Amino acid sequence: MKSATLALAAMAAIVSVGCANPERSRDVANPAVPATTMALQVCSNCHGMTGNSVSPNFPNLAGQTEAYFVAQLNGFRSHGRRDPAGYEYMWGLSRSLTDEQIKGLAAYYAAQSPVAQAIEGDRGRLEAGKVIFVSGVADKGVPACSTCHGPEGKGNATFPRVAGQHADYLIKQLLVFQRTDERPEGSIMKTVAHDLTPQNMQDVAGYLQAMPGL
Amino acid sequence: MHTSMVRSNQAIAKPSLAIFAILTLVLSLLANKAEAIPAFNRQTGQNCVACHAGGQFPELTPYGRLFKLTGYTIGERALPISAMAVASYSKVANTAKSDDPAGDFQKNNRAILATASLLLGGKLTDNIGAFAQVTYDPYATQDANGNFHGHSNADNIDIRYADRFITDKRDLIVGLSANNNPSVSDPWNTAAAWMQYVPVPSPTSSRFIDGNAPYPGYGAGGNIAGLSAYAYWNQTIYVELGGYGSSRGLTRFMSAGIAAADNTRLQGINPYWRLAYNREWGAHSLMVGTSGMVARAYDDPLDTTDSGTIHKFTDLGVDAQYQYLLDPHAVTAQFAYMRNHVRYSSASLADPAAPFFDSTGSATLANINATDTNHVLRAKVSYVYQAKYGGALGFFNLTGTTNTANQTAGYDATGTLTKTDGAASNLSGNPATRGVTLEAFWMPIQYLRIGVQYTAYSRFNGASTNYDGFGRNARDNNTLFLYTWLAY
Repeated sequence: MKSATLALAAMAAIVSVGCANPERSRDVANPAVPATTMALQVCSNCHGMTGNSVSPNFPNLAGQTEAYFVAQLNGFRSHGRRDPAGYEYMWGLSRSLTDEQIKGLAAYYAAQSPVAQAIEGDRGRLEAGKVIFVSGVADKGVPACSTCHGPEGKGNATFPRVAGQHADYLIKQLLVFQRTDERPEGSIMKTVAHDLTPQNMQDVAGYLQAMPGL
Repeated sequence: MHTSMVRSNQAIAKPSLAIFAILTLVLSLLANKAEAIPAFNRQTGQNCVACHAGGQFPELTPYGRLFKLTGYTIGERALPISAMAVASYSKVANTAKSDDPAGDFQKNNRAILATASLLLGGKLTDNIGAFAQVTYDPYATQDANGNFHGHSNADNIDIRYADRFITDKRDLIVGLSANNNPSVSDPWNTAAAWMQYVPVPSPTSSRFIDGNAPYPGYGAGGNIAGLSAYAYWNQTIYVELGGYGSSRGLTRFMSAGIAAADNTRLQGINPYWRLAYNREWGAHSLMVGTSGMVARAYDDPLDTTDSGTIHKFTDLGVDAQYQYLLDPHAVTAQFAYMRNHVRYSSASLADPAAPFFDSTGSATLANINATDTNHVLRAKVSYVYQAKYGGALGFFNLTGTTNTANQTAGYDATGTLTKTDGAASNLSGNPATRGVTLEAFWMPIQYLRIGVQYTAYSRFNGASTNYDGFGRNARDNNTLFLYTWLAY
């Protein structure tokens, strides 16, 4: 009994003192944790240490535009962005981040170098994807992706970088835009994606993943 | 006689299944209304699928493994309490071949509240976190009148200190785990402490369900006290070294609720080790590993005065796990093999007479073995769609040495066949048991899993037919098992 009391007291002491270790903390509710620490200790678990994720379940963040990144984290934090992958993974982690931390994370990822992704699929399909990216789908009134996302797909302000993004992630997001209102901040994409066929999506996503390799 | 028994069983089955269905419905409604959510979920604010592959707790995703190895410290401090409860229903294929069906198949064909657990888990400081479970078994003991009595005891406990040295080029996670079950600290589900995870009900009708069929495990068992140190380098190489002793004194809480007579008493510090190679590419992840433990345990936990009463376990395992996780698909393939060797104490070998006689009752059987070696193999493939609908196919095979000391059926001194372990008695002294388990499950919401398992045996206790000497065949033990598992 005495030993249990001692153990409890020791535990209470540890908890009350907090043993805060902001330089290597994984506390997402501590404003003192620097953004780089947050990126490495927490975000890297899914998005990779340099924002190049291993699993296509999670988007690459390396080289992402700061404005788009900040808008997304704000969207997760305010629950404005509510696609399943967004709320399942990101609502909780972003809920207590400060504006300062979000800006810091945006700067961290913008400064990282994207790693070339695998070129997957048939050449012909990738070429078809390139046509959509460069020229859109004229007969359906789908505009060229490059108009907003830039000729190299590197993004521009709130228009995200799409070059080198996982094709699976891109397709899922195109479906979110096309079929739902779960990403209201990207409502412009609803019109764009409206007339894309599943094959169009696969083609353009495959091409974007391969960029700048093609 | 036989027909009427079948009829009455069917008559019972209908209301029992109805109760099971109602219980399931109530639990799911409760879960829908529940504002409380699992402690780790509150801490990170993330959905179960972030850490659990396809939402099938407790199997971890690559992120879930990192969450565990960094000491459960990701997120923010939150109310660290969760609870889980399991309702189940077991039906053994043949309950007629038994001289004591009431004892051999308690609660057969009945829906029961199988177990309930309270879980304490979460971040304590930036470096310290814990996962601790206390489990209540409503059927822990049975009195002379046949009434069951419940009991609670310490279940898995894992208290961690972890630190992570990570840059944009390298990653090293190091930590310490104080735990009460070798390999409970492991982040892969082919580890002995985690491969079997559907809670097992105590009543004997569940004695043949998959959870009671052979799984790799360490001879020392659980509820002992250990400390292990681990390192995970670049998410590639995992090394863990630990030492385990008896749970007593300061560490008695690790076996709280376990009677002294049932509490494993080990001599000194006993080593446990684990080495694993991990690789992740695209949506795939693969782990290949090995683990082992050497433990010296007293024959009688209440008498630790004589080192001649110590038996020694040497366990060596190889395991592998492959996962393909890309929403909405989750595929897992698991393989685990373990060699369990036991050297019996010199005291128990001093009088090596076997417990049974030959069929004439005139001579005892051959002397008992000084050592036994068993080989356990488990393989399983599962698929979950949309973190909602899942199925699994498992295979198990246990082989080992024949030892007359392990017989629980045989001839007594009068040449009469007797048995001591009911429908699970062993006439051959050989442990060979083999079978498959088919499972389907549904997770209507992330806190609830409803599953059905069918386990079929082709061999049991060393034989496919008449393994107990009383005509019971391996396939008579085939069991249908339904469960509703709520965790929040």
